[in-house]
Amino acid sequence: MRPLPTRRAFVLLAAATATVLTGCGSGSSPASPSGPDKKPAAADVKGAPTAAAAAMPDGSTMDRIRERGYLIVGGSSDAPLLSQKNPLTGKYEGFDADMGRLLATYILGEPKVRIVSSATQTREALLKNHTVDVVFQTYSITPERAEQVTFVGPYLSSGFQIATRKDATDISTLADLNGKTVIAGANTPAIPAIKKAAPKAKILTFDSDPACIQALKQGRGKAYVQDNITLAGSIDSAPELKVVGKPFAEGDMGIGVPKDQADMAAFVDTWLKKVIKDGYWTEVWKANFGASLGDHEPPVVGSVPDVYTAKD
Amino acid sequence: MSVLTQHLPQLLDGLLSTCLLMVLSFAGSLAIGVLVAAARVSPVRSLRAAATGYVELFQNIPLLVWLLLFVFALPEVGVIFPLFTTAVIVLALYEAAYMAEAIRSGINSVGRGQAEAARSLGLTTPQTLRHVVLPQALRSVVQPIGNVLIALTMNTSLAAAVGVVELTHAANEVNLAEAQPIPVFVGAGLAYMAVTLTIGLTTGLIERKVAIVR
Repeated sequence: MRPLPTRRAFVLLAAATATVLTGCGSGSSPASPSGPDKKPAAADVKGAPTAAAAAMPDGSTMDRIRERGYLIVGGSSDAPLLSQKNPLTGKYEGFDADMGRLLATYILGEPKVRIVSSATQTREALLKNHTVDVVFQTYSITPERAEQVTFVGPYLSSGFQIATRKDATDISTLADLNGKTVIAGANTPAIPAIKKAAPKAKILTFDSDPACIQALKQGRGKAYVQDNITLAGSIDSAPELKVVGKPFAEGDMGIGVPKDQADMAAFVDTWLKKVIKDGYWTEVWKANFGASLGDHEPPVVGSVPDVYTAKD
Repeated sequence: MSVLTQHLPQLLDGLLSTCLLMVLSFAGSLAIGVLVAAARVSPVRSLRAAATGYVELFQNIPLLVWLLLFVFALPEVGVIFPLFTTAVIVLALYEAAYMAEAIRSGINSVGRGQAEAARSLGLTTPQTLRHVVLPQALRSVVQPIGNVLIALTMNTSLAAAVGVVELTHAANEVNLAEAQPIPVFVGAGLAYMAVTLTIGLTTGLIERKVAIVR
């Protein structure tokens, strides 16, 4: 048998391959971050409230958090405007990240937070075995989930919006999508909403919002259904797409608290009411979503089913 | 457990899709793998270089990156397939690299005398491979090919990340509705285990039947 190809041939082959691959990368990659003008501003949370020591008696969950010295939050590190880790500073930026820091300030006096990456598949398990103290991850409130965890809130609400390519003129409601291919984010509440309104629609799901936007641009689906908060940053930087109509089917999101920690649920409930009343919720909203979504009324805590309600 | 029985049709559909993905990709990767292995042992230098380049390229880039490239980057240059087809193509190409290496080790294990005898009978290299060497080579690498098939079955779950509805994707959807990740994903894991155990047992049976007694 002849000897194997020489070293030089290997190097040439590798160089040729690298050139081809970089050429393919000229299109937008699925991992590109949101548009440059949609980065969240720093929220002005000086003077954020802190709890009195009497509210955290010995042996309570909050006391244990205080002794540990930091709050463990289940959240994302790749959700633009909600909880995204800035690669340069290492700090988490976004609405959920800011709310987590406010809660930590309330318990500890300082915004000491450790974020544990959680996902739709793992959130309930992480809360059940107390790996995390709370979940701040646009956690949609559903009756099935309310059986596994306690929801405190709502602390955020968002509606679905339909995004289409600019040349699509026949889509205005979910029902128009019946029989067509629709793109949705994997594990988002958009999927049951589409199934209900358009039972014959074929649903294509992708893991991340940039992947869904890319798929819509490539014509893999007629429309993309996602909540307006996630769409906020993406659509502006995609001129060939447009958003149809106003947000609909407003869904509420809650803060996830372990089911067996009633003292923590009551405590977070009190905190949430306080930050809404004192204007800190509005401040955090403005800093993160003000540029793309304008002003928004703060939610009324305890106003939807399946959330924690204080027993007087 | 009731969460699994309630959604059994959906999970079984996903399992069926996984098995279909596995069978189609296996057929493709076996075919491509034999060709690439043959090219790697051919006396033609450029064929050897091309085959080596193929194997190195596909083995050294993660499968998820390939899936994302084929699903999102290729359409930018106009090449677009349905998602399931794309997943089959990518899995077949990726596993073919591993298959080719397994088959090549089988070819190398066939005695030199076989190739020399074939040459002295006047057979060309393709004829030697087809009639003398490959039948013996494949019989001795049944277990490594089975390993590649098991790895392929596990890798089909990556297709869920690019939208193909197979077992992992179906399990995700069930969990989205029911919020009970532990029974759902343990169930999915057991289903995968059942598939791969079947593959392992079948491979063992086949190996014993076709083993070359030397």
